Amino acid sequence: MNNMKKDKTLKSNKMNGFPWILPAFVFIVGIIYYSIFYTFKLSTLDWNGLDPIQTEVGISNYTKALFSDWVFWKAIQNTIVYFIFTFLIQNFLGFIFAAILHTKVKLATLHKCLIFIPTILAPATMAPVFRLLFSPQGILQDIFDILHLGITVDWLAKPNSALFILMIVAIWEFTGMSFILYYAAMSQIDKEMLEASRLDGAGNFRTLLSIVLPNCKGTTVSLAMLGIIGALKTFDIPYLITTGGPNHATEFLGTYIYRQGIRQSHLGYAAAISVMLLVLAFCGAILINKVNKGDEK
Amino acid sequence: MKKTRVLAVILVALMVMMTTVLAGCGGSKKTEDTSSETSGEVVWWGWTPGSPTNEQYIAEFNKEYPNIKVTWKQTSIDDYDAAIKPALANGKGVDAFEVSAGSGNGGVKVFGGQAIDLTDAVKKALGDNYKDKLNEASITTMTVNGQLKALGVGTVYSGNLWINKDLFDKYNVKAPTNLAEWKEACKVFKEHGIDGFVQGAGQGAFNMDTFHAIADNVSPGTFTKAARGEVEWTDDSIVKALELWKGLFDDGIMQKGALGLKQYPEANNLFMSQKAAMVMMGSWYTSNTLPDTMKASIEAASSKEEPFTMIPIDFPDIAGTGKTGSMFGDLDYSTAVSATSKNVKAATTFAVWLGTSQSGQQIIADSLNVVPSLKSATPNWDKVKLVNPEKQNEVIKKYIEKSMGSGDNPRFAEINADMNQKMMDVLAGVAGGTITPKDGAAQLAGTQADSK
Repeated sequence: MNNMKKDKTLKSNKMNGFPWILPAFVFIVGIIYYSIFYTFKLSTLDWNGLDPIQTEVGISNYTKALFSDWVFWKAIQNTIVYFIFTFLIQNFLGFIFAAILHTKVKLATLHKCLIFIPTILAPATMAPVFRLLFSPQGILQDIFDILHLGITVDWLAKPNSALFILMIVAIWEFTGMSFILYYAAMSQIDKEMLEASRLDGAGNFRTLLSIVLPNCKGTTVSLAMLGIIGALKTFDIPYLITTGGPNHATEFLGTYIYRQGIRQSHLGYAAAISVMLLVLAFCGAILINKVNKGDEK
Repeated sequence: MKKTRVLAVILVALMVMMTTVLAGCGGSKKTEDTSSETSGEVVWWGWTPGSPTNEQYIAEFNKEYPNIKVTWKQTSIDDYDAAIKPALANGKGVDAFEVSAGSGNGGVKVFGGQAIDLTDAVKKALGDNYKDKLNEASITTMTVNGQLKALGVGTVYSGNLWINKDLFDKYNVKAPTNLAEWKEACKVFKEHGIDGFVQGAGQGAFNMDTFHAIADNVSPGTFTKAARGEVEWTDDSIVKALELWKGLFDDGIMQKGALGLKQYPEANNLFMSQKAAMVMMGSWYTSNTLPDTMKASIEAASSKEEPFTMIPIDFPDIAGTGKTGSMFGDLDYSTAVSATSKNVKAATTFAVWLGTSQSGQQIIADSLNVVPSLKSATPNWDKVKLVNPEKQNEVIKKYIEKSMGSGDNPRFAEINADMNQKMMDVLAGVAGGTITPKDGAAQLAGTQADSK
């Protein structure tokens, strides 16, 4: 009887709070859902975005992307490679930095700032710096020349190395985010648990691997989800540093949507790729959630 | 339960309202022109030539039309399409806007639908024989479905190299006229720590210029014929041109890492800071022969060097055919008037003044930025002072004359957006060794067939 009353009160509290968020909720959902439906409608058109004539083409924009556009698949491939490498490396570094800074390190605050600063710097500000750094006329080339290493810094000009450079930039930029989340997660670990592991004779590495890492699982899952969505949405770094080149070697879905929709005025085709991006992001999030829930069982 | 249902109904109703409101925002309504031919407020969108030159044009315009207030709104060349598209669709805040021929940014075929027909206005300004008074391209390339959608301000030509004459003299290097001399020149400059030739091959439009020049060197006119569908892109001369294009990368003429570099700002900065002796640029670069413009360009390249003597030379005869000196050009930019503007009459006055009046076109001519559309407007050489008049005056005069006489050889006007993208892909692929010249030519032919 008592429990039923409690449930009712809880429900009533929930209902009372609802009107407060209603305007923002309607506004946000209205915009987001309107945009999604409008994009879906656009994806069935052959239209340049301005012409009064819009030609209905059904699902042909989708079939074109899926069956006859190698650049679309190249963008998907780049996204997968980019996600795997950046996720593994930046989270490994973020985890290690967080663990180190949970020990007694001198100038810990300074180190935290140094690790986190790249995350708050706008890619638009840093892109010219990286273009210069990785250019044959840049400082890296000067250093190699002084050391007579015989290495030419033409990495942005080569299809294989250009993607690698973008991943380095992304790792440099987002490791701070992984670090801060792992640092916060590690602060929540019960100290008694760590002490118990010490008493059981576990060394630093064993404690990190068997106690700290499993306790940060929620953070890792969140970072994986953010990583997948971030990789699918990647635009600024490749657009500003390589413009998707050379010859689409660093093309991502975001840059390709922009290229098709704006540069080539194929708004319908760009919308179709956007819808597929949305579906992929949705599937990615579900997959990570399922894997996480499976592990919990 | 009832409360929940009521809330859900309200929620859905509000969302539908919201969506309807947003959907309603998309349409453009017919607006009323509140301006006259001598008064109004005009917002002029564009990407070139950039402040403060545009403001100088406006100041000159205001001497004749003091009651038309023109505001210049500039975006970068890369962002222009993205910025102007929603502005035009929305129908507000754009009165006059720049468009270009063909597949470049602001293509008239994409944006012309939002512009009024200027035929009557230009007839009123220049008479029925207006076509005789204007550069042919300023009419033909701006005509869409029989309507004159914009008025050309000036034409740019490409096909030549620019060289730093001071560096050539300093190191006693001969301006290259063939492949062997070009290689030798690059080698000598390299020995002195300078890039011989620089190209931002990561920015495709300029690759197309170089390729077009090579194709014209192999077989004059074939590139244009292929662009028009009169010759297949798989023609032997095109394949040969692609092979020669690749050779520029393999033979050390293109600087290392060229495919990772952009023409603007990087290649331009290297030339302007005298770290490179040659660059593939067109007639728009002529304005750098003016001391003030060159100083600004040098400063923009973060260099403290003094202005130097730069001159145009013919593209070297790398095919060994002896057929050199080809130039190709398009209108650099033209002014269109938005059909949904509230200042159509005032904006038309401005577009007509800039594109057809003697005073408007004279200031364009003297800026040396583009070759004016009005045939009677030529640079006033008594007024125009170059960095090194002794070495530059005659060369530049001949260069402008030669450009204007280049005939029917468009730069991008015959290439649509899909072909443009494919050509950029093929040129980057051939240069990087991932596409063979033969396959590249076949890909160009395939895209041409698909986009018919």
